[in-house]
Amino acid sequence: MTALVEINAPASAPTVAPRRPFVALLRRPMGAIGVGMLLIALAVAILAPFIAPYDPYANVRVTIFDIYQAPSGAHLLGTDDRGKDVFSALLYGTRVSLLVGFSAALIALVIGGLVGIVAGYRGGRIGAGLMRITDFFLVIPDLALQIVIVAIAGQSLVNIIIVIGALGWTTTARVVRSQTLSVRERKFVLRAKAIGAGDIHILRRHILPQVLPLMLAIMVLVISLAILAESTLAFLGLGDPTLTSWGQMLNFAFTRGAVSAGAWWALIPPGFAIVWVVLGTTLLGTALEEALNPRLKRHHLERDRSGSRPVPELDGAGSLVLPPPRPANAPLLSVRDLVVEFDSPSGPLRAVDGVSFDMRRGETIGLVGESGSGKTTTVLAMLRLLPPGGRVVSGQVMFDGEDLMGLDARKLRAVRWSRLAIVFQGAMNALNPVRTVGDQVAEAIRTHEPSAGRRAAITRAEELLERVGIPRQRARDYPHTYSGGMRQRAMIALALACSPDIVVADEPTTALDVMIQAQILELLAGLSSELGMATIMVTHDLGVVGQRCDRVLVMYGGIIAEEAEAFRLYAHPQHPYTQQLLASFPDLSHPERKLAGIAGIPPRLDDMPPGCPFAPRCPHVFDRCRVERPPAYDLSHGRRAACFLVEPGHERRPASAGGAADA
Amino acid sequence: MPDTMPVLRVEGLEKRFPGHRSLLDVLQRRAARDVRAVDGLSFEVMPGEVLALVGESGCGKTTTGNLLLGLMPSSAGRVTVDGHEVGSLSHRELLRLRRTVQMIFQDPYESLNPRMQVAEIVAEPLRVHGEAGTPQETKERVLNALVQAGMTPPEAYLHRLPFELSGGQRQRVAIAAALALRPRLLVADEPVSMLDVSIRAEILNLLRALADEHGIAVLMITHDLSTVAAYADRIAVMYLGRIVEIGDARTVLGNPQHPYTRALRSVVPVPDPSARRRPVILSGETPDPSRIPSGCRFHPRCPVAFARCPTVDPPLYDLGSGHLAACLLVEDAAQAEAVAPAAPAVPAATERTAEAPPAG
Amino acid sequence: MQGRGRYLASKVGWALVTLFVVITFNFFLFRILPGDPARTLIRDPRVNPAAREALTRRFGLDKPVLLNFQGGNPFDSQYFAYLGALSRGDLGQSFAKRDQTVADLIGRALGNTLLLILPAQVLSIIIGIVLGLVAAWRRGTSIDGAALIFSLFMWSLPTFFLGILLLFAGAQWFELPTAGRVTIGASYGSLWDEVYDIGRHLLLPTVTFTLVLLGEYMLIMRSSVIDVLSEDYILTAKAKGLTTFHIIRDHAVKNAMLPMVTLIALNLGFTVSGAIQVESVFSYPGLGYLTVNAVGTRDFPVLQGAFLLLAICVVIANLAAELVYGWIDPRVTEA
Repeated sequence: MTALVEINAPASAPTVAPRRPFVALLRRPMGAIGVGMLLIALAVAILAPFIAPYDPYANVRVTIFDIYQAPSGAHLLGTDDRGKDVFSALLYGTRVSLLVGFSAALIALVIGGLVGIVAGYRGGRIGAGLMRITDFFLVIPDLALQIVIVAIAGQSLVNIIIVIGALGWTTTARVVRSQTLSVRERKFVLRAKAIGAGDIHILRRHILPQVLPLMLAIMVLVISLAILAESTLAFLGLGDPTLTSWGQMLNFAFTRGAVSAGAWWALIPPGFAIVWVVLGTTLLGTALEEALNPRLKRHHLERDRSGSRPVPELDGAGSLVLPPPRPANAPLLSVRDLVVEFDSPSGPLRAVDGVSFDMRRGETIGLVGESGSGKTTTVLAMLRLLPPGGRVVSGQVMFDGEDLMGLDARKLRAVRWSRLAIVFQGAMNALNPVRTVGDQVAEAIRTHEPSAGRRAAITRAEELLERVGIPRQRARDYPHTYSGGMRQRAMIALALACSPDIVVADEPTTALDVMIQAQILELLAGLSSELGMATIMVTHDLGVVGQRCDRVLVMYGGIIAEEAEAFRLYAHPQHPYTQQLLASFPDLSHPERKLAGIAGIPPRLDDMPPGCPFAPRCPHVFDRCRVERPPAYDLSHGRRAACFLVEPGHERRPASAGGAADA
Repeated sequence: MPDTMPVLRVEGLEKRFPGHRSLLDVLQRRAARDVRAVDGLSFEVMPGEVLALVGESGCGKTTTGNLLLGLMPSSAGRVTVDGHEVGSLSHRELLRLRRTVQMIFQDPYESLNPRMQVAEIVAEPLRVHGEAGTPQETKERVLNALVQAGMTPPEAYLHRLPFELSGGQRQRVAIAAALALRPRLLVADEPVSMLDVSIRAEILNLLRALADEHGIAVLMITHDLSTVAAYADRIAVMYLGRIVEIGDARTVLGNPQHPYTRALRSVVPVPDPSARRRPVILSGETPDPSRIPSGCRFHPRCPVAFARCPTVDPPLYDLGSGHLAACLLVEDAAQAEAVAPAAPAVPAATERTAEAPPAG
Repeated sequence: MQGRGRYLASKVGWALVTLFVVITFNFFLFRILPGDPARTLIRDPRVNPAAREALTRRFGLDKPVLLNFQGGNPFDSQYFAYLGALSRGDLGQSFAKRDQTVADLIGRALGNTLLLILPAQVLSIIIGIVLGLVAAWRRGTSIDGAALIFSLFMWSLPTFFLGILLLFAGAQWFELPTAGRVTIGASYGSLWDEVYDIGRHLLLPTVTFTLVLLGEYMLIMRSSVIDVLSEDYILTAKAKGLTTFHIIRDHAVKNAMLPMVTLIALNLGFTVSGAIQVESVFSYPGLGYLTVNAVGTRDFPVLQGAFLLLAICVVIANLAAELVYGWIDPRVTEA
């Protein structure tokens, strides 16, 4: 009844189920070693009568001189307290351990699996009742109970198996229940119900296939628990007296003077035999669980293996020389040729491929793109906040005269939030659930103004919250008590805490209702113009940026496809992607107009077209687009578009001509 | 007859979830506050018609979908599908009924079993309802359904697993599975909100085509007024468990009568920066459905509420040609309409000649 | 605060129910199983009639088990006699040591066991948390790998075998005492001498116990911290400009402690079984040693009493863990 198994019970169901878990298992060193150790133990158990030099069950007359003989040619591991060969007993002991382990685990699995599935799938009173029973068994110290039952019921192998099995089911039941519960809540089960499928069908086709592999992993771990339990009972003198088991060997040796006789050979080998089998099963179980439920994620504090990288484009001397005095009209933020890659098993994937843009003080720009276009990655890369596995390969992010890519950690921290803050999407997860909202806002203030006292910071946090429309007293509440809209407001208050020069709003209204969306956008726009902050709106919604932004950058497949002032972009989109994206948006001023959509699917990072990323879906595509990546062409009014169609000197052809060139 | 009879008729549908009552509440004899998720809902869907049920989260639109599918029992009201009243059906009949009503879920990433191949997913409804027949027949029906859902060539997809498909393709597979049983009504719960903007159109066009070409009735549940504008025949706007305005899509969008509809319409972002309008942004959030305000349930947030609103719960006033709105401000207009013998509220879709169910 | 009060009440209520079930379970456990100890003893021809009479009266063996339907008081049964005795703190007389009550025996043993368990728990929790934190933070490095191998190995090592190894080593190389709580026959010049002697005896058992618990705590803390460090709010904290130290101290530790508290609660049964093994190896006169000895001497009243006390300890400790959880996580007490 231990929780080692509990560790790996997934809180939520795995999203990626490997196609061939057993191959994945053997690829892991842990799994391969575990399987190897167990196979050896299994072979020994089967072959014991053939390879053991003596039969431990045979009645042999011994004299006092046969007892505790040191290892020798005749007795590889010496003799025990009865003058018997330790090595032979060791080989035979494997049989008892494995037999008890497997049978008891099977009993535990059947009971626990059944209880777990019923409790998880039925829910309601039956489920709750079953879980209460499980909870009860959890507080019963199981070894004590095993001792009591075996002492009263008798020390036979069958009793021991039944007792260990019947008491070991609770762990299985808990894990299986939580897995069943999480599978039951998944949408494909709801869909099966909507189809009209009965419980039997749903259990057989949808629940069991998801739960069984996990049960296998648990069973392996329960085997190790059962083997430990058996040896412990035997060591305490409660084993089956007619059988030779490792625990019993240790019991006899320990209680009959092996320690004082210095007969380590009677103690150490059976002990490590137990370790061998249990370690083998544990390794196998752990590897099995990991193979079934891979944890791909790496956490945010892992070492950035690329480190803070000196900017390669600069000359060796250039980085030491002070930056040239900045002209008065220099942009506040200037991103140049930013390239970001992510590690993957098949090599680095390029998520952002040469993004450049400028931003002036107080300006509002929109960064628009569909999923996978690289818009969020661009923003995170600017502050070197990429998730582990991601790195900036090249490029510059000049912010107020300094390249953020080359700053040391301390200077970088000083820029973060106090000068450039981010309103993250999904404020539920972006706020720490166990700290109050006010406390989290105050923390940002105190980080950048260490002189501000605790009390003063809290007061300022309350003022900020009030400013975004959250009553002052709610500052003391935890994020889970807030509604979705309020959390997003709190996130905005947090972003404003240090009066930054730039606020990045990363999909600030996704998953919010339209009315709340409108409230949040209004609030954000009002505050940024009031405080003179520059704002970057990252969004997939062209409607949002059209009304709120001065300038719009359209991203596709990791590049900036088009950049223009908002009204020019909408009036005369230049890039075919922009044109088609605009046509995909509903426009209530023309409610009857059907949406156009774009044929095909957005490119995948692991399958980027060699030429223009939009080429496979572009109606105007021609041969050059497929092999050569179009650069960003500067057009009039500070516009840019990365398309050969706008190349100076390119003959403007109608769509049909473009199609013809294609053929 | 089948063309003039609604596929789905909902009358006075209600769903209450019992409120949580702690031991303390019981001791103090405090009544539990029931959550009135759906609170007297009535509408019809005709064959070949697309009805959009629009509302914000908490308005009860998803609960409505679950009630229609029989995924949970209703508290009151009648649901009639194809002439059969759902509440009165035995369990067996209910299972058969589910063939005529199929559902499409919001999240195509979650609603397909990750371990099942496309062929198995599409064939599952057939197997569940014992219509699978020989393997050859099953395969043919699966292929047909995939073609109908626009997955061509269908053979290429049969043995794919969901994770190998894009979001749009997954939603098509879900639609194919729904079509396998040749249903009369599709309930689509936010069918495109999880999809990229550029591929929403193809799914919406597909649903529209299913209604037009095969006479399938579609109930589209959504929070997004703008997306459905071009695809729905009629729009019903829900607020706190009730329909506050319903009518022909163009009328509801072009000439909304309920202040809530007007506000919803005004906050839809317009891509064109030159067309800046003043949005009506309602303050606050939708109230908790366990505390529905007195009188008109919208009055605490209504920008044009007046003295009678907190006391009078307005019914749906008929404004002619099937346009109804539950607001005291249109009471007079409705009465004027009532003087002239109002044409029966025939939905626009009945004019559309729906074809017989698809031949297979 | 109403939510918090409600949470408290429900947890205490559930603990009381569990306690009652444990007590009842303990009664029936010793009545149902084949070889029911009380009956076996009465049928033993060696027991003289007077003693048999006393036993019969003591356990009420002439009465029905659960409820008395033969007229008169329905509660005049073995079960209610047991409850009555229990409420007076009467757990009966030891079979093996005739002059001692079970309550006295297990009371003394409980103190010794706590002296062993508590320091070991505290030590292993602290060390486990620190090592788990470091392993998670330095995930994928050699520190992490070493920590992982260490905990898997410790997990696979039977407690009693680890005890034997340490006992061997301690006796051989450090001349530490290997049995008992104090040196037999020793007389102390001062309180300090006595404490020193007890400490020397406790050293090996405590080290064994700490090592046994450590591996698992470390594993859990590691995986819990990794989970927390992958959360979005850690990215927020990083974007806020917090140092790694502050992120870990102010945002990771408390959140990662939640699964730890659950684990510690779940693990209490395991702790008891560890205590039984450690005490047996080191002949340390605690509850576990008493239990194992009672089995050897077939001293069923002691066995029953010890088992009950162990179970009650786990219920109480479990409740404590639940309360700590409610105190750390605001989400369980509101909503």
